[in-house]
Amino acid sequence: MTFAIFLEQVINGIIIGSMYALIGSGIALIYGTMRVLNLAHGEFYMLGGYFIFFLAVTYGVPSWLAIPVAVFATFILGVLIQRLTIHYLLEKEGWLFSTIAVTLGLSIFLQNAALLMFGEQFQSVPYYIDGMVEIGSIRLPLQRLLIFVVAVITIAAMTFILKKTRLGWAIRATSQDRDAAAVVGIPAHRIYLITFGIAGALGAIAAAMLAPIYAINPWSGLPILLKGFVVVILGGLGSFPGAIVGGLFLGVVEAIGVQLTSSEWRDVIAFALMIAVIWWRPWGLFGKKPS
Amino acid sequence: MFQPLKSWQWLLIATAIVVMALVPLVTRNSYLLHVFILTMIFGIFASAWNLVTGFAGLKTFGHHAFFGIGAYASALISINAGLSPWLTVWIAALVATVFGLFIGLPILRINSMPHVAIVTLGFAEIVRIVISNLQSITRGELGLWGIPAFEGFNLPWIGEVNFTPADKLPYYYLILVLLIASVAVIALIMRSRTGLAMIAMRDAEEAAESLGVNLTRQKLLVFGVSAFLVGVAGAFYAHYISILTPTAAVGIDLMILVIAMALVGGLSTLSGPLVGALILTGAVELMRDLDDYRLLVYGAMVILIVMFLPKGLVTLAPMLTRRFASHSSS
Repeated sequence: MTFAIFLEQVINGIIIGSMYALIGSGIALIYGTMRVLNLAHGEFYMLGGYFIFFLAVTYGVPSWLAIPVAVFATFILGVLIQRLTIHYLLEKEGWLFSTIAVTLGLSIFLQNAALLMFGEQFQSVPYYIDGMVEIGSIRLPLQRLLIFVVAVITIAAMTFILKKTRLGWAIRATSQDRDAAAVVGIPAHRIYLITFGIAGALGAIAAAMLAPIYAINPWSGLPILLKGFVVVILGGLGSFPGAIVGGLFLGVVEAIGVQLTSSEWRDVIAFALMIAVIWWRPWGLFGKKPS
Repeated sequence: MFQPLKSWQWLLIATAIVVMALVPLVTRNSYLLHVFILTMIFGIFASAWNLVTGFAGLKTFGHHAFFGIGAYASALISINAGLSPWLTVWIAALVATVFGLFIGLPILRINSMPHVAIVTLGFAEIVRIVISNLQSITRGELGLWGIPAFEGFNLPWIGEVNFTPADKLPYYYLILVLLIASVAVIALIMRSRTGLAMIAMRDAEEAAESLGVNLTRQKLLVFGVSAFLVGVAGAFYAHYISILTPTAAVGIDLMILVIAMALVGGLSTLSGPLVGALILTGAVELMRDLDDYRLLVYGAMVILIVMFLPKGLVTLAPMLTRRFASHSSS
């Protein structure tokens, strides 16, 4: 592997990794705020992708409008799922397992509902921008650069919301101590709804950016979900910054690993990395060891 | 449920076994026997999953890995080494156990339900992809065929027993024996000190720990036993169906089906997974014409059961009888 190829793989890895980071941070937000592991997270990505496809391709809505509309629709979907299922289960005993089980059921249900409604053919969305940039010996399609720019903007916006707004303070307070947050008047249930919605929206943004590269089909959520899980294990479950770093790290490791082996081993590399981390640093590569 | 069995319960168990043993006398319809054989394969799978998830409290979502490992190991060893399936089934189950211990060890150390769920799911995905990528050995999604059947033998009084696709009867009795043995093993574990301690641990971890209960080693053992049983079920499946694909033998659909069975029947009960296996395998066959809706219905079923009947159908019966009894007495 020459240095130029190595560098190109690192750049590609960071670009795809920035999308893994969006998926992982959605899972981390939900887990961080309400200790729910959302197995239906891949379906936010899958349905978000379909929303974009129908708006942008079927109805010809310009992409600058189609993407926000699809992201908002997925936000609403997230809110609905939380309100109709998780909301009731959190009140009952055994919620730790019942919430995982119900999201598994939701995942299967939504996948197959999509299969029945949209069919099994692979759909894709045209590139949002054409053209290439050349930096030294490396040629990079503008589309890929756009992915990275959108990821950076999204992460910056999320960081701003979490650190600087009342909503963000409420989310972080609830995740630190739900009861104490309730004492100072933070409505935990509303925070849960919004968090689920935001996580869905993050999934839809990733779907919008990846739709031109990866095809959309009813099963496209599962591999993305599993990648998101690897990311949160790497970054420490429930940590938003951990998920960002974990996503970028996973992207780079995968890209270099694929270069050394072949693309069909991509997922094995990711999961093996995860199991290695579980063996050596179960609190995550970038998390703190619990005392 | 962990009190000594009352005589009527023994009678119920005996009746169930006798009924199952007599089914082939009533019907030799090979399609019907096939449905029962599948039910029993899934019965072992669901019971073994319930052993770790319902009883030991380790919520794994990757047990289909052990089914696939059992199936492929037994098939590949019997094809390539020319060993008898009667032997390879046990070798394959041991291979599944080794993998079970390998993945069981780290998840027991972390002791966090979401981590366990994620790691087991990821592990199963590795197994599926590796099997489907190693095409030179497993033929990948093209399917591994030419898996030898169990050899026939002679039984006194009955005569020659032959395992052929045309005659499901020997398979039926073989899997029935395996099912009874598996459930017996699970029941024995749960009635031992280990089993009782595990229930205590699951229901009140901190209280049990304060009484000096530490079960890491026993839980690992239970995880190994569970992987072994699922491996046996997978190996039997391989020699029964005689063609394997990664999707059919290690697909996540399989795990979802088993989870649905255990949930529908009732998690943390001995009979729940068996009842669930019977209901759902039967339902699959009834819905054969509606194949496209099958997984949609499973998904909906899991959601509804978790939301409205979290302890499953088997807990419905005692609940109803109690309500009925209290009504008639008042």
